[in-house]
Amino acid sequence: MLKRHFAGVAAVLALAATPAFAADKPIVIGVPVGLSGANSVVAPSVVQSAELAVEEINAAGGVLGRKLALEVADDASGAAGAQKAFDSLIYQKKVDVLISMETSAARNAGLPAVTKGKVPYIYTSFYEGKSCNKNMFVNAWVPEQQVPPIVDAFAKEKGAKTYFLIGSDYAFGRGMLAFTKSYIEKIGGKVVGEEYLPMDGSDWTAIISKLKDAKPDALITSTAGGAPNVTLTKQLRGAGVSLPYANLAVDEGTAKSMGTDAEGIYISASYVTGIDSPENKTFLAAMEKKFGSGLKTPNDLSVPQYEAVYLYKAAVEKAGGTETAKVLEALPTVSFTGPRGTISMSKQHHAPLTMYLGQVQGDGSVKVVSSFKNVDPGEQCPKLN
Amino acid sequence: MLLVLDILTTAAILFVVSIGLLAVFGVLKIINFAHGAWLTIGAYCAVVAAKLGLNPWAALPLAFVVGGALGGLTELFIIRPLYRRPLDAILATWGLGIVIGQLITLGFGRDVQMTPNLVSGTVEIFGADYSAYRLATLGAAIVIGVAFALTIGGTRLGLSARAVIMNETLARGLGIDTARVRLFTFMMGAGLAALAGVLLTPLTSVDPNMGVGWLIGAFMLVMVADASFLALGVACLVFGAAQVLVSTFVSPILGSIAIAVLAALVLRVSPKGFSRA
Amino acid sequence: MPDDAPALGLAARPARSRARLSRSAPFVVAGLAAVALWVAPAVLDTFAVNVLTRSMIYAVLAVTVDLLWGFAGVLTFGQAAFFGVGAYATAMALTYLGATPEWMAVALALSVAAPMALGLAVGWLSFYHRSTALYASVISLVTPIVVTQLIYSGGEWTGSSSGLVGFDVLPLELEGFFRLAALVLVAVTLAAWVFVRSDAERALVAVRDNDARCAYLGLSPKRLQIALTTVLAGVAGLAGFVFANASSVVAPENAGFLFGTELVIWVALGGRGTLLGPVLGTIAIDYLAANLSGDLPFLWQLLLGTAFVAVIILLPGGLAELVRRVWARLPFGRRQAVAPRLVASSPRPNAAVSGAPLLKIENLAKSYGSLTVLENIDIEIRAGELVSLVGPNGAGKTTLMRCLSDGTEPFSGAVSIGGASTAGLTPNRIVALGVGRKFQVASVFESLTVADCLLLARAPHDRLSPIGRAETLSLPQAALDVLRMTGLDRLLAEPTRLLSHGQKQALELAMVVALEPRLILLDEPTAGLTKAERTTIGAVLRTLTGDGVAAVLVEHDLDFVRQISSRIVVLHQGRLALDGTVDEVVNSELVRTIYSGGAHG
Repeated sequence: MLKRHFAGVAAVLALAATPAFAADKPIVIGVPVGLSGANSVVAPSVVQSAELAVEEINAAGGVLGRKLALEVADDASGAAGAQKAFDSLIYQKKVDVLISMETSAARNAGLPAVTKGKVPYIYTSFYEGKSCNKNMFVNAWVPEQQVPPIVDAFAKEKGAKTYFLIGSDYAFGRGMLAFTKSYIEKIGGKVVGEEYLPMDGSDWTAIISKLKDAKPDALITSTAGGAPNVTLTKQLRGAGVSLPYANLAVDEGTAKSMGTDAEGIYISASYVTGIDSPENKTFLAAMEKKFGSGLKTPNDLSVPQYEAVYLYKAAVEKAGGTETAKVLEALPTVSFTGPRGTISMSKQHHAPLTMYLGQVQGDGSVKVVSSFKNVDPGEQCPKLN
Repeated sequence: MLLVLDILTTAAILFVVSIGLLAVFGVLKIINFAHGAWLTIGAYCAVVAAKLGLNPWAALPLAFVVGGALGGLTELFIIRPLYRRPLDAILATWGLGIVIGQLITLGFGRDVQMTPNLVSGTVEIFGADYSAYRLATLGAAIVIGVAFALTIGGTRLGLSARAVIMNETLARGLGIDTARVRLFTFMMGAGLAALAGVLLTPLTSVDPNMGVGWLIGAFMLVMVADASFLALGVACLVFGAAQVLVSTFVSPILGSIAIAVLAALVLRVSPKGFSRA
Repeated sequence: MPDDAPALGLAARPARSRARLSRSAPFVVAGLAAVALWVAPAVLDTFAVNVLTRSMIYAVLAVTVDLLWGFAGVLTFGQAAFFGVGAYATAMALTYLGATPEWMAVALALSVAAPMALGLAVGWLSFYHRSTALYASVISLVTPIVVTQLIYSGGEWTGSSSGLVGFDVLPLELEGFFRLAALVLVAVTLAAWVFVRSDAERALVAVRDNDARCAYLGLSPKRLQIALTTVLAGVAGLAGFVFANASSVVAPENAGFLFGTELVIWVALGGRGTLLGPVLGTIAIDYLAANLSGDLPFLWQLLLGTAFVAVIILLPGGLAELVRRVWARLPFGRRQAVAPRLVASSPRPNAAVSGAPLLKIENLAKSYGSLTVLENIDIEIRAGELVSLVGPNGAGKTTLMRCLSDGTEPFSGAVSIGGASTAGLTPNRIVALGVGRKFQVASVFESLTVADCLLLARAPHDRLSPIGRAETLSLPQAALDVLRMTGLDRLLAEPTRLLSHGQKQALELAMVVALEPRLILLDEPTAGLTKAERTTIGAVLRTLTGDGVAAVLVEHDLDFVRQISSRIVVLHQGRLALDGTVDEVVNSELVRTIYSGGAHG
């Protein structure tokens, strides 16, 4: 305690001694995120990776001589909470930018405040696509990027012709499977069943029986993350379903908590911990060092958060300041090479990404089966640029 | 054939989940809206048992005892002052459910927990593979049902409880300590709810909010059963069948609200639900 | 004894002018609040303006929850559903039609009409003859679940889980929406405040206290409850309209069951049944949540949950109750109850006393399962008759009374009043045929004053004002007599729960008489009364029958029966044993056997 106090005093003295720092307030990054509610499982990992990015950037001298600071606010993973969180960050904490992973409902609820408050917003969660706002950029995947690797693999390697689709009844579940269905039909496959259960539903019995009746070659699911995903997988395994099974909503952490039930599931992601690149190894080591035993496994939702902080840094440097109009102009033009490779949000406010097809192993880790370079996000927001 | 099994096992699960709520409603005339939280407590007993390295089945007695003990405390401090205010008791127990959910979150974290399977694999029955655990729940429902019937029919507590259900004033006049009956009934109801929580672990995700999804369905079934134990069995079969049939032939989304909507309509037509039949 | 007669008489004038003062209080407070809120955005920062805008919209909902729960006793989780329907109606209209002034008007109309239609349906489902408070709560739980599900299944049309965003809204700035929300809140609260101080509100409290008595006063509890549900659904929809415009986004959780429970929590913490408590409670808690919950998400829920449980158990009146207790200790805080002035109503023209029987019972029989309680009952009663129904306990007297006054009671045979069959009629509709019933155990409204109880009894004759309090209470002479003879006329401002047993019996009799019935059914009106009180009741009954009212009296006191009856009917084991004049019955061998037999058995 005493030590920290001294450190604080020292920092203040140091700041006072360097006029450039004393004059400039830090650049504040707002992170509205679901600390409670549906996203609360993954949210801590998102905050951790943002913290690492800020620490690294500050250690390297900040952005245009200014330090970065984080303001985290809980959006309760929903619309009402997001309204409060965005208001608090934009109007009370007066942040310069918003960078966050959120549910689609929370993102949508926050967008009016983003527009009115005139701040740039980098959305770092994969989602169902086609959310367009001139202040918002997305550096995570959309269906056009995630689905084809899986379907292609099933069609080519497993010879799958008929597919059964199961999802949670919400925007992401329906959006993903609608695209999946159209893609399967495009490559000549056939969807023999498409079923949804409400997000809070916990009994998949009837759907599983339908699945067994339909006898498809492969199964693709897109539930809400966390609980519904675990519930469905447990019940599928309980019923003895052992088809080729791809899960569009599972992350490594959830796969681990499912234990042996998750073994063999195919996932498609822009990030898995097993990516073999120097950037990823450095990143993982830095995370390990900073958080030690408190580390939340980095994942496909937290890594984009890390990279987005760097993308923002690059944009501010290019724009020569934090003025929103200039930052928005710079954002699509800058790029950053991070754990997922080189990222640039250059396509209609979205980013071409390298996608990885992985398979969950018995110990819950994900083995990369193959990768696909620079998969295009497709036509997301044709009216923006 | 698969359909029949689906219906029977769905009914069995519904029965296991709602029996604790029914016991409390029958004797105390109070809706325990913390029922969902007790399911969660039970499931976390399974988590703790696994962490302690106990046999997965040991979680059942553990949950019954923990659930019953916590239920006793709840009866003494929260339910007892609210006997004359049944609607307030709904609210207080709902609030308690929120508190328990947050305490579990603070203690165990928000994450989905891993629990060992009680029974894994499938059984070949009528020429098709069927989940062995779902079949096991059928047995569990029968065991719990029979045990419950024996308790009600053959023990002093059961006799006193029946007397309180029929006419509380008279029961008190006959020298039955109604306060004690209520306490023990609530403890038993809570213990059964926790037990059901353990039995749910192989079927659902184990997380701090897992109980809420089961609450409304159980609540509606108990309303329709109106404190009658046999009527609950019938209600579980009928509404379980409705849920499975609607899910199978119409839409699983409608199926998931089938119990709530149909039960509400049944109550509108016949306020005493199935207990009159 | 602060309430003795001379003191009350002297205090009448200042009390009345104070009443006038307090009648204008809501308008003064509302005016001040409106002005304060109008200038508030100039002082508050943008964050506070934005958060409070939503808090005030939620407070409108809290008012509706409070009216339903705090005043009418209907615990509801469903207001969120109506709010959500209003918000979605607005959002969808603005998204798919546009935000021109014309379409905006359409959106406004839809946002009120759609929830009202749903409210009507929910009301119809929740409230029916013999429905329970619990059932209404059950329906209020199911409603938001179903509505949310519909929103999810709407796919792109409703935006599914993501909700709708990006539609054009009213051309206002943040401050403008703040003021709009403030005006709506002040207007709704003011309207509710005026309403809860009106006579009509007493009817809601009466339904909450004792809906059976209400029905037997000719009021239709279910119609009142359905009307309230429908109107408040519309108000919630209006709040939804403002919300959709102010936040330019709607999401399924706005209509959800969890939001519904949150509203109840705010109302409970603020203080149910106090209007201002829930309004201030909602604004304070929601504002605090916006400031705190971001920093301590789980702890905040834990604190709120704990506070909620504690308040429900220890302080059912919420924080407002604390304030009220302190206030009541202050010298000026004690409010003097004011009662209306009693006047005699103009006597109703006597219906021509025709030869046709007023009450006709034909071959009535009733059984519970295999147990036959009544059979072969045929009785005719004409205007001006006072018929006593006697018989040992279990003879079926009270059951017969119930069959006469409730046509939905399952029985066979026919009952007609003035030639109209009562088959299938609920009690309130039988009251409309001119039947008044007094119960065995005095049935009055415990939370109301003596004057309010009488006022409700006159509701079928003099409409209850939804905006004010009547200064006079006009009662038929016979009811005034009952009050005078029992001294109740000096206790008009007294809450009935403070009355003695005899006074409650007298009050109920006065209420029944105030209905001006053609036929009056009395179930042991003298049980537990003093000799003097009995004499009074006897005198009242004789006056009434003298004016052409018919009376049926269930009575055990044979002396009393002998004094006042014009005819006596003897019931024994569910059958009509004897029907004759006082002398015939009193001297009959049969009656002696029955009574001695009953005494031994």
